[in-house]
Amino acid sequence: MEKYEKLEKIGEGTYGKVYKAKDKTTGTMVALKKTRLEMDEEGIPPTALREVSLLQLLSQSLYVVRLLTVEHVDASSDFSSTTSNKENIHSNTTTGSNNNNNNTKNKSNLYLVFEYLDTDLKKFIDSHRKGPNPGPLSPSLIQSFLFQLCKGVAHCHSHGVLHRDLKPQNLLLDKDKGILKIADLGLGRSFTVPLKSYTHEIVTLWYRAPEVLLGSTHYSTAVDIWSVGCIFAEMVRRQALFPGDSEFQQLLHIFRLLGTPTEQHWPGVTSLRDWHVYPQWEPQLLARAVPSLGPDGVDLLSKMLKYDPAERISAKAALDHPYFDTLDKSQY
Amino acid sequence: MDFDLENPLTSSIEIQSDSITGLFDSESDYMPSRSFLQCLEASAFYHSFRQDAISTLFHARSSRNYDHFVLYLAINYMDRFISRQEIPQEKPWVPQLLVIACLSLAAKMKNKHFLISDFQKEEGFIFDAQTISRMELVILDALNWRMRSITPFSFMSFFISLFEIKDPPLTQILKDRAAEIVFVANNEMKLLEFKPSIIVASALLVASHELFPLQFPSFKCSIFSYEHVNKDKLLQCFNAVQEMVGLEWYQDITSSSISPLSVLDRHCRKSKSETTNTTTFSSAELPQERAIKRRRIDGYN
Repeated sequence: MEKYEKLEKIGEGTYGKVYKAKDKTTGTMVALKKTRLEMDEEGIPPTALREVSLLQLLSQSLYVVRLLTVEHVDASSDFSSTTSNKENIHSNTTTGSNNNNNNTKNKSNLYLVFEYLDTDLKKFIDSHRKGPNPGPLSPSLIQSFLFQLCKGVAHCHSHGVLHRDLKPQNLLLDKDKGILKIADLGLGRSFTVPLKSYTHEIVTLWYRAPEVLLGSTHYSTAVDIWSVGCIFAEMVRRQALFPGDSEFQQLLHIFRLLGTPTEQHWPGVTSLRDWHVYPQWEPQLLARAVPSLGPDGVDLLSKMLKYDPAERISAKAALDHPYFDTLDKSQY
Repeated sequence: MDFDLENPLTSSIEIQSDSITGLFDSESDYMPSRSFLQCLEASAFYHSFRQDAISTLFHARSSRNYDHFVLYLAINYMDRFISRQEIPQEKPWVPQLLVIACLSLAAKMKNKHFLISDFQKEEGFIFDAQTISRMELVILDALNWRMRSITPFSFMSFFISLFEIKDPPLTQILKDRAAEIVFVANNEMKLLEFKPSIIVASALLVASHELFPLQFPSFKCSIFSYEHVNKDKLLQCFNAVQEMVGLEWYQDITSSSISPLSVLDRHCRKSKSETTNTTTFSSAELPQERAIKRRRIDGYN
């Protein structure tokens, strides 16, 4: 890891800290995401192998933050294992001699090295709300960002991967090129031990789908589409659509706008684990929540915010929605 | 998150048209480099290194019952590793360690159990678990953790869907025979230059030529007219695969028992002694051998 100079901590991903760092040889900025890896006598855990290689495959999309390289570091020595291994292969000592700590669990770290982008959609929206020149995001920019977001989500879904935590902070922007990329793709929960600090982190609920809030255990790609809908509305409004501060409050925010769900609109809702009796609200006009959005946009938004996950539009279908008819899709 | 060679993207969702395009776009990332192929031709060391390694893998397969896919993946890792990292020539144990570590990684990707101690007892290797783990990391580093290889099998179902075969058992027979050809082709040095999609397209065409000669022209037409297929390369590869299969037939009738290893040995000899004295047989010329072939297909599973 001596190849990189750590500059500052830029975030707390679900599985560990993220640092901004400089590649000492090329001078380019990277984002280092550190995860802990438990190595046993069988070597690299199969789950880690399968998941990191999946991340590697996913990051080939233009709309997913690129995974540049993966570095494995023994926690005991802070040297990259690759360096010591290269020495090993060129020495004769390897055969049969290295058995002093064979059965101990070997703690080590995996650094995922991602491309670095200097801003994200949250900062971008904030700058339009309270910057020196506040004002709405242009409709064509919203359209372009949403299209790229749907492209990226469709790419993940076509690879069988759910993001599970889409939010403006996780959407990185290249402002000059107008490119949006999805970051912090969740690795499965199986292979890394979440770092201690993770528990102290405030997890935002604002983009969480109602079925997740209600304790559904079988959730699907539709959870990401809900988040996309919330992000779409937030770009238009420049403030969050459902800013709840607890799971209960989050549900009430949703119900107040979209109406309290019923078995008729969402079969099975009342048998979900965390379903309670809620105040009965009638659905409001969605267009009122996003006054500057045209009818096609409102229609797409309403399809992304369907209560019944099975009825929610897919990312792939969203790309063909009339809202994007005015977009020059050839450049994406 | 499981890994299926026939569908490297996911295990559950059927291949969609946009993800198949993605496969065509990135298949080259999972191939051995051009310089490796030149090395194989130019250097006797690399040539015999690969042969030795593959022989070891076949031994491992027969003694440990690994499936073909684990083996295929291990060979892919090995080729790509050698493409990126120089192998110290004076260390005779390096090929063995490399093969074990590639096999271990491939088994993990395929969620198959790989017991090093078992393996060592049978093969007489003396590497300890830690050494193998370290070698795994060296390989992962060299391959940049791109372990979900795009292989010929990734394109198999897609190409078969172009054929529009109505009868599922026929599809299975075609698939099995094409898979068999792909496995043999992996040992053929001169086929290594072709992309996975080209290899499987050729294997399917050769297989369909054997099995359904009447439909062959329409199959050929549908594959050749597919936009992501380079026609020249496909024709070259198809001829090379047909030649390889012709040789296989020839050996079928000249020797009664056949093992992967002996096929391999013969192919090596052939690639060393150039191809001028081998004849390409077509199925039309050798009907009796096609019958033999059919019988073998029946027994192949």
